[in-house]
Amino acid sequence: MKSNKFLFRGFASHAILTIWSISIGMLLYFTIISSFKTNKTVFKQLWSLPEKLNLVNFQNAWSNLDFGRYTFNSVFVVIISVALIIIISAPASYALTRMKIRFAQPITFFYLAGMGIPFQLLLIPLFKIMASLNLVDTLPGLIIVYTALSIPFTVFLLTGFFLSIPSELEDAAYIDGCNEFQTFFKIMVPMATPGIVTAAIFNFIGLWNEYMLALVFTTGTKNRTLSLGLYSLYSSLQYTSDWCSIFAGSVLVIIPTTIIFIILSEKLISGITLGAIK
Amino acid sequence: MEKRRGHIAWIFLAPSLILYLYFFVYPTIEAIKISFYKWSGFAINMEFVGFKNFSKLISDGSFLAALKNTLLLLTIGGIGIFLIAFIFSLLLGSGIRGKKVYRTIIFFPYIIAPVVHSIYWGLLVYNPRTGMLNQFFKLLHIEVLSKYVFTDTRHIFGSVLFVIIWSSVGFYLILLMAGIERIPPYLYEAARIEGATELQIFFKITLPLLKEVLVIAITFWGINAIKMFDLLYAFGGILPPRALWTNAVYLYIVGFGKRDPIFQLGYASSIGVVTLLLVLIIAFIIRKLIRREIYEY
Repeated sequence: MKSNKFLFRGFASHAILTIWSISIGMLLYFTIISSFKTNKTVFKQLWSLPEKLNLVNFQNAWSNLDFGRYTFNSVFVVIISVALIIIISAPASYALTRMKIRFAQPITFFYLAGMGIPFQLLLIPLFKIMASLNLVDTLPGLIIVYTALSIPFTVFLLTGFFLSIPSELEDAAYIDGCNEFQTFFKIMVPMATPGIVTAAIFNFIGLWNEYMLALVFTTGTKNRTLSLGLYSLYSSLQYTSDWCSIFAGSVLVIIPTTIIFIILSEKLISGITLGAIK
Repeated sequence: MEKRRGHIAWIFLAPSLILYLYFFVYPTIEAIKISFYKWSGFAINMEFVGFKNFSKLISDGSFLAALKNTLLLLTIGGIGIFLIAFIFSLLLGSGIRGKKVYRTIIFFPYIIAPVVHSIYWGLLVYNPRTGMLNQFFKLLHIEVLSKYVFTDTRHIFGSVLFVIIWSSVGFYLILLMAGIERIPPYLYEAARIEGATELQIFFKITLPLLKEVLVIAITFWGINAIKMFDLLYAFGGILPPRALWTNAVYLYIVGFGKRDPIFQLGYASSIGVVTLLLVLIIAFIIRKLIRREIYEY
């Protein structure tokens, strides 16, 4: 009786979890197979595998619909933004948690409070500022926006990680004669690497996937990012009916994040787990 | 020695502080200022109108509907997500095999671009003509559901809410599991020896010890729900249907929308200020509700 109940619970658990997992798999499955079909057949034969792996939708998206350029823009903007974010946030987080600053607590709160500000609120004046700097519709301009707006969350993550590093290491380094920069680079950064990696992955995923800021700060197609390109394509759907290119575009958009996910999911999950325990 | 450390610290802070102040804090303060003006963005002159924008909000049907949607998203979405996340964390914590695999799979949709979700669910699942759901129910001969239009005005908010819950559960599941794993097993053992039921264990041991994690998780959800834009805005073509307008979406439409020939930037900013106030209120409420005691163990 007890073991039957136990078995049933195990079975029921697996059933629920498996059904949920299948629904997730379907997202990948149907998006991918639809990208290989043709516009005429894609909705008629929704469920079946494509007849052949024809890449025409991908070629179409890449060249005719400029997705090639969009991809390059995204790669360029996101990678540089993530690098910049880490480069400026890590020292700041270290300083706030480990160095004796007069107003460390209020300043930390000041950074973190930014997380609660809806971006849409500050978009209007920010647009004015960027316009006055002639940075609207430029890749560097987008990089600056992405970097600045990611600071609160990154500092939030990294201060948590730096706090969890025992201070004895630091004191030891100091006694050995290291100055602040050496302590930071040679000791703290290596120790905080899991946190930095987590922050970098999170920022990459968030910025790669976003399109609202790109929508506001780029006009026209030259500097458009990939996610924005997909959105634009989708919103023009009623004129073109080119469904399959949209699916091909979707596949393009999800490839980097999926690859990161496959390779680094353990790191990411353990990073979130560690970060949650503060 | 101490003083020198302090001064160098400012070098560590400077780059992020400068960027943050100039491109984040300053625009926020400006936006709050702008909310007291009437401004089209083209004219150089802004007209000071005091609280007129805010009083206009109260009588604006679209804003009130958007506010209602925001609150619905916050509460029903939150309840849905945390309910399912709790159930999953219990299922996964009961010692079944493949715990990590399930957790990873369930987390996957969270990292997929919202646009892709909008496209997948909008075209392949919910669409009455081309989507899978209606076909599926037709196959099962469930008339009511096969004729149910998931994307019409009355239903689309619920349909999208489901998508939001479905894609977000994984992240909050990870947070919850992180908190649960910290609870020492001996507490559970002792409770079981005393004869406590699973439900009692959950409410008297698990839940109270999760307070810290819950504050963070719920606050995080609160902020993200109020800020949510990408998924909602993309869910319907050129402009999202009115049924999907939340504060964030409405703000964008009023401030940057292409429909209105006149950009009402002052009014849009006032929406933003109200939204910000909402964030503050929610954060405050969450802290008050949950943080009554922190248990040491």
